[in-house]
Amino acid sequence: MPDVWANLSPTLQDILLTLALLTPGLIAGALVVRGLHPLPLVGAMLRRFTWVNLLFVALIAVSVGVAVGLLAQERGLRQGSARAAEKFDLIVAAPGSEVTAMLAAVYLQPSDMALITGAQYAEIAGADGVAFAAPIAFGDSHLGAPVVGTTADFVTYLAGPLAEGRMFATAEEAVAGAFSPIAVGQVFSPAHGTGPEAEHEAHADDGYTVTGRMVPTGSPWDRALLDPVEGVWQVHGLANGHPPGDARIGPPFAPDLMPGTPAVLVHATKLWANYALKSQFTRGDLMAFFPGTVLSRLHGLMRDVRSAMSLMAVLTQGLVTLSVLTGLMILVRLIARSLALLRAIGAPLRFVFAVVWTYSATLIGAGAGLGLALGLVTARVISAVITARTDVLVTASLSWPEVHLVAGFVSLTLILALLPGWLTVRRPLLADLRN
Amino acid sequence: MRLQLMALALRACPALAETDSHLAEANGLRALHVGAPATAKGNDALIYLDVENTFGTQAVLTGCTAMDQRFDLVGFTYGAAGEAWTALPGLPVLAGREVMLEPKMLALRWQAISVDLVAGAEVKIKVTIGTEILHGDIKNGAANATGQSHAGHSH
Repeated sequence: MPDVWANLSPTLQDILLTLALLTPGLIAGALVVRGLHPLPLVGAMLRRFTWVNLLFVALIAVSVGVAVGLLAQERGLRQGSARAAEKFDLIVAAPGSEVTAMLAAVYLQPSDMALITGAQYAEIAGADGVAFAAPIAFGDSHLGAPVVGTTADFVTYLAGPLAEGRMFATAEEAVAGAFSPIAVGQVFSPAHGTGPEAEHEAHADDGYTVTGRMVPTGSPWDRALLDPVEGVWQVHGLANGHPPGDARIGPPFAPDLMPGTPAVLVHATKLWANYALKSQFTRGDLMAFFPGTVLSRLHGLMRDVRSAMSLMAVLTQGLVTLSVLTGLMILVRLIARSLALLRAIGAPLRFVFAVVWTYSATLIGAGAGLGLALGLVTARVISAVITARTDVLVTASLSWPEVHLVAGFVSLTLILALLPGWLTVRRPLLADLRN
Repeated sequence: MRLQLMALALRACPALAETDSHLAEANGLRALHVGAPATAKGNDALIYLDVENTFGTQAVLTGCTAMDQRFDLVGFTYGAAGEAWTALPGLPVLAGREVMLEPKMLALRWQAISVDLVAGAEVKIKVTIGTEILHGDIKNGAANATGQSHAGHSH
């Protein structure tokens, strides 16, 4: 049996799991309404208590929506951050914290890092299996956007052909990220540092002309301004990696004329070479790491948070289920006289039971369905806020885990909805008629 | 003299190479801390180990075998689609260097294992590095183990 299950496609497994979760509630419903036609009467009840019914549906929808939205959001955030790191195969930096180096090099979070020397860079760039080794020199900014010194190879590798304009060709030119706050053709002077403490006049005499704009990558690099690493060294009054008079940009750099870089992105010619290079440059004076591995470990830690969120979602659903049941019982008391009248004119108890259950099921079904839609909207709104704040493109959409959560909730609530029906048929007929 | 000859003979003979439960060694190549999380029969098991090359030239780790099944050398990747292990043709181990096959990085993948890997038990393994075949044991850890229990231990 486990082999049969394992051989099914993931989609089929999800569909079957959804059906399995729904089955208990559906079987209960089928047994309750078998041979009866309670819908016309239920329709009349829904119309008669429109506002109360809408309130119940809204209560269920909000509860389901929040739970579904949070789950979808967590997955969206995880996928978005992983997508942003996909292009960063191997990072080499000075020994220190891999997390700090990853946040700085991949997500452009400002950080003080020791520099890799020119000789170390030359060794990395010249190693077997290296397609290109791009310096990533950060620390300056413009209008809040990070200014990063690198190479043309890296820009092309990161975003492909430019959406507009051309690649930088001199140390005084730059390429803008897709959403960076500057247009092609404009000139800007970088501030030294980032954030409120950036020194805006430090490089006032130097400027870069924006010659092109990248296509969106879904990463913080979309807001960055990328210029030749020689430009970054020059504006800081350092040697630019080439002999005096040599206006060329890009590698190879003269090791003794290269001021250093906080990180190097290494792109290998073959997948296996990444692992060999990682091993080669993991040593006392260098630290090589895969951002994907670091991120996966971080996400592994977040799995506990996700479990807690899932538990909270289930608990919330349980509380809402109890609230809905309580509400339904109150509602049934409100319509007790009508139901008593129904019984008085000869309606079988089973029919009255079916009317109450179908009425409850309709509210639950409508609330759960609306909740799924509300969850999608919630996730998308939160995604937009996170994307705006982190520049990591987060796209949240509903998936099978959310469907399973809602299916489980609906099934459980449909079974519990038998309780108001049972209480209704046990009510004293004469007392309800008199009231 | 006889003792020295015997020692040399032992060192040169892979079949008689050191077979400490967490160390296999031959001709300057060492496979240490071979371990796998406990895995149920039919699933893929990931084997982790450290490979040391004290030999004078580069050697390439290409895979290993156990119970007549060949393992792939696999590399970990992570992206929006999630985690994935991709088969690699081999991994060079530079002279004088060490390569660690560790979780979410590198591993030897034993696909659809034919027996349960029970925590605490050991399975015989042959690791192929260059022209050498190192004979050792996979020490099975807990299902959630992220390495061999002796990892970090000096030999």
